[in-house]
Amino acid sequence: MRVPRSLEVWKMGTVNYLDALKLQDKLISRRKTHKISDTVLSLQHPPTYTLGKRRTDHNLLVPESDLKTIGAELHYTQRGGDITFHGPHQAILYPIISLRDIGLGARNYVEKLELTMIELASLYGVKARAGGVGETGVWVGERKIGAIGVRISSGITSHGLAFNIDPDLNYFKHIVPCGIADKEVTSLRRETDLVLPTEEVIHEQLISCFARLFCFSDLIWKEDAPILPDNGEAE
Amino acid sequence: MAGGLLWATRAASYLRISVPFRAFSSVVKDLKYVDSHEWAKVDGNLATIGITDHAQDHLGDVVYVELPEVGANVSQGGSFGAVESVKATSDINSPVSGKVVEVNEELSSSPGLVNGSPYEKGWIIKVEISNPSELNSLMDSEQYSKFCEEEDAKH
Repeated sequence: MRVPRSLEVWKMGTVNYLDALKLQDKLISRRKTHKISDTVLSLQHPPTYTLGKRRTDHNLLVPESDLKTIGAELHYTQRGGDITFHGPHQAILYPIISLRDIGLGARNYVEKLELTMIELASLYGVKARAGGVGETGVWVGERKIGAIGVRISSGITSHGLAFNIDPDLNYFKHIVPCGIADKEVTSLRRETDLVLPTEEVIHEQLISCFARLFCFSDLIWKEDAPILPDNGEAE
Repeated sequence: MAGGLLWATRAASYLRISVPFRAFSSVVKDLKYVDSHEWAKVDGNLATIGITDHAQDHLGDVVYVELPEVGANVSQGGSFGAVESVKATSDINSPVSGKVVEVNEELSSSPGLVNGSPYEKGWIIKVEISNPSELNSLMDSEQYSKFCEEEDAKH
């Protein structure tokens, strides 16, 4: 018998990368101690390059000082995966969920994140697929439309997925995206002929795909959620 | 079919490997286990630690293992390193408290040993146990097999 599971959805607009990291750390501790239920952050970042735990900075093709000139930040993180770019018009989901509660391992979790983006793309007639071995992420042909980088700590997830709605793809020229050379990056705008609705609609569709794939029966929407104040209590 | 299964479980028993009913993850009889899917092989006051077959199967191909420094302290249930697979870094937790006396350097060049040989060549650290009474709280192979079955039934 499946227990009804609720998901708290934080719709956050544009959030600075470090602020989002600090928020995730707070939410992870609360989730570990069962103070909150499964939560997902829905947001986008200002232009930001990030590296994973393996610190593959050889895949940054320009000096770090150049990034400031183009108005981008660089951050080293504990997530899996290689170097990537986040920016406006790229939809990000950071699920803070307990994998142990649903008996999922890393591989199945990442597969479901891939499926989330594949399903969203299909709403616009775009046939996307999961990458093969060593190419985790979501592809349209040989072009990458969605990236994944996850951290799992005591069975609680953080970081997550990034889906290109219509980011400025020139930013990807300064890196070897995800460490995979010779493969293009693409976006929903490039791959579909359909007129796209507002991004808010696309973000909500992404959340719905996620919720359905992870069998959340009950969604609690939190609009314009503030960053947690320092006393650690929301609202 | 039933006869075949009986033979298989008897053979597995004889070989000191217990195979859970669904038979997709192996469990080794004399090891101790924790619910975060690490195992400990205790020899006197030394524990060799790694992740289980169930864990490596659920992780996918391991591409990177973050090892602690020799001499570092670990505590029961605390994280001592991480593995990366399928763009996910997963913390690994110690079943016992103590001091790290050796780490498996081979994993730096061959992280896949964790997948191919989770109980032998894929061992991760060796710890000098500081609190032997902690061993009483660890699961044996039967308890761990049952735990895995219950966890996998959740989805």
